[in-house]
Amino acid sequence: MEWGSRSVSRRRGPGVVRGHLQAIAAALRQLARPPMAMPLLEAEDARVPGYRGVIVFHYDRCIGCSLCAQICPSRAIKMYRVPGDKRIRPGYDVGRCIFCGLCADICPVDALETSIIHDRVYEDVPSMNMDPVEWAVWSKRILREEREPGRPRLRAVVDPDRGLRYERVEA
Amino acid sequence: MADPVAWLAGLLGVPVWLARSVFAPLVYPGLLAFTVVALFIIWAERKITARVQMRVGPYYVSPRLGGALQLLADGVRIAFQEVIIPRQVERYSFILAPVLGFAVTAMALAVVPGGPGVYGFRSSVGLLVAYALLGLAPLLVVVMGWAANNKFTQIGAAREILVSVAGEVTLLASLLAAAMMYGTMDLVEIVEAQAAAGVPGIVANPVAALLFFIAALLIADRVPFDLVLGEQEIVQGPYTEYSGVLFALTMALDYLKLYILMMLFADVFLGGWMPFSDPLLGSAAVFAKTVALMLAAVFLRSVYARMRLDQVASMFWSKLFPLALIAFVLSAAVHPLYGGVLAG
Repeated sequence: MEWGSRSVSRRRGPGVVRGHLQAIAAALRQLARPPMAMPLLEAEDARVPGYRGVIVFHYDRCIGCSLCAQICPSRAIKMYRVPGDKRIRPGYDVGRCIFCGLCADICPVDALETSIIHDRVYEDVPSMNMDPVEWAVWSKRILREEREPGRPRLRAVVDPDRGLRYERVEA
Repeated sequence: MADPVAWLAGLLGVPVWLARSVFAPLVYPGLLAFTVVALFIIWAERKITARVQMRVGPYYVSPRLGGALQLLADGVRIAFQEVIIPRQVERYSFILAPVLGFAVTAMALAVVPGGPGVYGFRSSVGLLVAYALLGLAPLLVVVMGWAANNKFTQIGAAREILVSVAGEVTLLASLLAAAMMYGTMDLVEIVEAQAAAGVPGIVANPVAALLFFIAALLIADRVPFDLVLGEQEIVQGPYTEYSGVLFALTMALDYLKLYILMMLFADVFLGGWMPFSDPLLGSAAVFAKTVALMLAAVFLRSVYARMRLDQVASMFWSKLFPLALIAFVLSAAVHPLYGGVLAG
């Protein structure tokens, strides 16, 4: 007796005609189902809590300790002198940032925070490098966008019937 | 209005045969109708495939129309694209082969009737003329593959030789079985025989119809027999080096073949303009049947995977060719159904 010849019964497939009909019927069933891709220009992906996007800077909270510039592994944050301000303040280069969030962790007064936004378009490379004031102004825009998104935020939910379903997530 | 073409000829003051031979190849069922059909079918193909794969498909070009204008946008882009002619190609063959291939294939539209009285010319061997004109295209495809002087195009051309021989034998066998069944090779008479008997050919001889459909898929490079194009293996097969308008011609060539073959299928096996005899309604019937068949053909793209070269060859020579013999026997059996009609 050869090994496996008794216990393992090979499942026989459907015949030629039935096989083709089954394949076509399966594709037709799929055709009737709604698409489950996300309408990306009309909605955006909801981020999970703790998502590390671009760093936002609250100028009024900053004490100028420069811990952020020291901890930054990619030297995206450097300290600048701001005219009319006696403390030094951090400036930010998005082009260098690796979104590790260490600066937000080490900041003793929570002047730096991670946002849930990181896909931004910049006109040129110099505009990615912001001095403290530019960064603070830009951060206000990012925070507003975080609170009031232009597009609805959708989250993918696994649905046993449809595969993927998208439900709206409020900001 | 008994015959719109004759009416048009009277309006322009030209002989009816001249109006016919210009109207049919250029307007309907010719190039104008084909352009509309091709734009629709390519969009439908992408949309159907997307829906089966649970994607959305073309959308953002015209969201309200479901992206139906995507193909127009692509066409505009291709029309303004530079035609790049690589240094290593055989210049004249490279440029002329797609043009000739498209032109020769489009000539078949003069024979295939698109409705009662809507044809370029009527011949007692119309079926063979259409088949012969379609059979010239593979030669030009081989020339394309050779002229481009590139390994992908040469592999594609070699595949085209092997595959088109297998497909055309099956196609011819099914067409001859149909001709035997109706007792004529005149496409108009074939449709009239079906109308008179009240039985479309697909009911009388389903084997020949199936063979024709499968062979048409192969000749028009549709999945599962698209191994001449073989996008994942050999870039675009014989069409690899083409760009711009020449690429549009090569792409249109396959859809043109599909259009002609499916119109032939509608005429030979689905009774052409069968429920109607009015030229306008009849033409609409043929057109609707053709488009429905093309939709079925492009739908199969989302069902099947591409077959291997040896699988295609063995399928056509050892499975479908014997079926063709059965189709001949079946034709001989059902011949009285149509033969009596024509004699009477």
